[in-house]
Amino acid sequence: MLRSAILKIVGLALFLVGWGATHTVWAEDTLTIATWGGAYEKSQEIALFAPFTEKTGIKIETVPYSGSIEPLKLMDLDDMENHWDIVDMVMSDNMEACDLGLIEPIDHELLLDAPDGTPATEDFFPNTLAPCGVANVMYAMVIAFNIENYHNQRPRRVADLFDLEMFPGKRALPRNPHALVEWALRSYDVPVSDLYNLLSTNRGIDLAFRKLTQIKDHIIWWDEPDEAVNLLVSGEALMAAGYNGRFFNAAVYEKHPIQTMWDGHVYEYGMWSIVKNTPRRDMAERFINFATETARMAEQAKYISYGPARSSAVERVWMDSGGAVDIRSYLPTHPTNLAKGIAKDYEWYSQVQDRLKHRFSQWIQENEL
Amino acid sequence: MLAIVRSTLIVLVLGLVVGTVMAFLAVFFVDGVVWLNSKLFIEPRSRMLASDAFWLPWVTIIVPTAGGLIVGILCLGIAERRAHNPADAIYAAQSLDSYMSVKSGAITGVSSFLALGTGCSVGQYGALAHLGASVGSWISRIFHGSKSYGTIGIGCGVAAAISAAFNAPIAGLIFAHEVILRHYSLRAFAPITVAAALGYVVSSVIFERPPIIHVESLFVEESYEFALFALIGVLGAFISVAFMRILLFINSYSAKSFLPLPIRTMLAGLAVGLIALELPEVLGIGREVLRFAIIEEAFTFGELGQIFIAKLMLTALCLGVGVAGGVFSPSLLIGILFGAMFGLGIEFFAEDIRSHIAIYAICGMVAVASPVIGAPLTSILIVFELTHNYELATAAMVSVVFANLVTLRIFGRSLFDKQLEHRGYDLSMGRDKVVMEQRKVADFVSDDYTRVLAKDSLQHVYEVLCRDQRTEAYVVNSSGYYLGTIGLVDLGKHSLKGKSMNVDVESYAKPESIIFNTDTSIWQAMEGVGNFQGESIPVVERGILKGVVTEAMVVEAYMNCVEEIRREENAT
Repeated sequence: MLRSAILKIVGLALFLVGWGATHTVWAEDTLTIATWGGAYEKSQEIALFAPFTEKTGIKIETVPYSGSIEPLKLMDLDDMENHWDIVDMVMSDNMEACDLGLIEPIDHELLLDAPDGTPATEDFFPNTLAPCGVANVMYAMVIAFNIENYHNQRPRRVADLFDLEMFPGKRALPRNPHALVEWALRSYDVPVSDLYNLLSTNRGIDLAFRKLTQIKDHIIWWDEPDEAVNLLVSGEALMAAGYNGRFFNAAVYEKHPIQTMWDGHVYEYGMWSIVKNTPRRDMAERFINFATETARMAEQAKYISYGPARSSAVERVWMDSGGAVDIRSYLPTHPTNLAKGIAKDYEWYSQVQDRLKHRFSQWIQENEL
Repeated sequence: MLAIVRSTLIVLVLGLVVGTVMAFLAVFFVDGVVWLNSKLFIEPRSRMLASDAFWLPWVTIIVPTAGGLIVGILCLGIAERRAHNPADAIYAAQSLDSYMSVKSGAITGVSSFLALGTGCSVGQYGALAHLGASVGSWISRIFHGSKSYGTIGIGCGVAAAISAAFNAPIAGLIFAHEVILRHYSLRAFAPITVAAALGYVVSSVIFERPPIIHVESLFVEESYEFALFALIGVLGAFISVAFMRILLFINSYSAKSFLPLPIRTMLAGLAVGLIALELPEVLGIGREVLRFAIIEEAFTFGELGQIFIAKLMLTALCLGVGVAGGVFSPSLLIGILFGAMFGLGIEFFAEDIRSHIAIYAICGMVAVASPVIGAPLTSILIVFELTHNYELATAAMVSVVFANLVTLRIFGRSLFDKQLEHRGYDLSMGRDKVVMEQRKVADFVSDDYTRVLAKDSLQHVYEVLCRDQRTEAYVVNSSGYYLGTIGLVDLGKHSLKGKSMNVDVESYAKPESIIFNTDTSIWQAMEGVGNFQGESIPVVERGILKGVVTEAMVVEAYMNCVEEIRREENAT
């Protein structure tokens, strides 16, 4: 307990020093948004941030964020000036942060209606409006592979990720258990609808880690989402788990021989969340309002293959920004892709992720990975 | 010709209506149980979400206990003061009017739903089959016309229920015939097929649901393993018989108990809750156990054994004391655990010589479950339809055949037949006996006989018999009590000995070697008339002579029954 407290304090100190150094200039009309970098942040920059600044004069600063609620816990929420205003969080983090009072409640009535007049509360997909959040995009953790390595048979099922006989070689995987436990259990032919029920038992979790142990010597761990793409492109890994938009970007725009396997993709929504006690709460609400409007959401999908969270926007998506690629089949919301997917059980994760992460780090230690 | 077309259309519409109604009911029943399980902390996910809460152990104990209590109270509303089960549906289908009570059916359906929802160790398929039979019987009464609509309605409801619950239309069709109707009638076949197909369409196309067992690309590695599958069948039969005997023992013991039904069912629920604190796998249907049992290395031998014993005893306890619900899904569970144990056991003797554990688990599953409900064909088809795996179905077939053969020799056809036997209905002679047990001689008793009073003289009796041209007179006292019969031959012998004919007939009349009661069935009558020598047999009601039946009349009634049954089964 004491140890973790010390770690937290040290972490906070380092964090503030680092952050202070990069954000010395501070203006009244600047919103600080914590988001995920790479091709995804680029799409936000073009479709959301720049048009917002142009329209309102409010500048947007971004800070790198790669998930979890730890940064919010470490942040001094009473320090009016030096904290983030908006965080682009995953659903389970959003719910946990909301329960812990780290983020502000959001009034969904303020959201703009669809162009045809459908109220936003009906236009957004079910369960995408949370007490403290508004969904922006649906994205998926997928398995992708480098086509050049597979001449005869290409991986097509989640089970192939664990099949070293048929598909030898390194796998680039995220250094956290999300999606890995689902895939591990799925590879035993467990139906998608029973996954979280089985993962709720010690037996299910044991089986999942046993499966991961089988490939432990063939894993390259990544921490930043873009590393997954880089490892595939460089040939260090033959298969990789990562976010679908980044693989899309690498394959379609950067012309790398990367293919996405949609089987068993674990999809969830990103959530705009407003950090507790921000002095720029009005501006933050204005931004969320602007960014979740139908036209903006449809625009963003042209730059990254994440599915908009409201149906009026999904209906508008067709061509990418260059007008060359029909991007619909690259979206996790595409019917054939959606049918193969696993809806991430964020309610489950918001309760279980601490235990799961603990078990994961235990496993990492036991296997000296 | 027109009448045939008309009646064919009517039964098809009957199949359509019953099939649709029951398919939706079955889907809502199954999904409702899942929903209730998640709200009441029976299913693992909801237990995991609440795992930090101090109250979870208390809820685990209280929910099945309360469930047992409520179910017990509800079942007091049924005339027999017990929940109905497929045995009642079988009995109704065997009798020609095929009547099932709305009240008993509804109470049984709701009670089973609650028992399953609160995690009591009972099954859902039996409950659904009974509900299907009830719904079929109720709807068929709207189509009143031919008596056989009732049987067809029951068959349709059962087929739709099983087909929807398992996603297995052919198994539903066969189950209705094999377990419930027990005969294949051309007329019933078409509407039951329609109902089974509808059950499948509704459950798998409208509501997409995964099958209870899902396997991919399994095959039998070595041909000698088929001998092992046969051995699984034999051992499975012994487990199956042990399970049924324990259940029936608890049942008869509990029937004699001074405790009222709701207290007994509550205690059974309490037992489930207490065991579940250590072994949450015993709660409810145990879908997760079915999934894990076909995964290699998910269980150790010891874990399998623990859950196997706990599930077997708790299910026998719950069903034995009268908690509403079926026996098939717990049998599947007990069987799959046994099969997995067998598979692991083989490993002790020789490593790496067996196929995937799923094959052993599934063979064990059907080896134990099929004799319990007396459904070998259905079980094989369930495996085939759920897995689409020919080799697996063949392996399962070997186990099923041996299991049923052994069970038939040492126990009987099924638990349902045994339950009916305890209630006094023997199905081993087929349907004819059930129908003839229901028909009474009172229905065709004749007044056409000679009746004399006890105080009449022999001379008087002699004259009356000569006048009526009969050989036997029936002697009654002033209140109409039957005292005996006296024949013309007896009178003749008496007279030839030169004795006085002016004595009372009372002391000379002897009771007939066979006397029927008004509630004597045709079946009993048929057994009796075989050795009967006289002219006709007296029929009495509490001693009072109601009339007579002749041997010819009994035989005619028997023939009528047989004809009626055949007409129903073969009518076009």
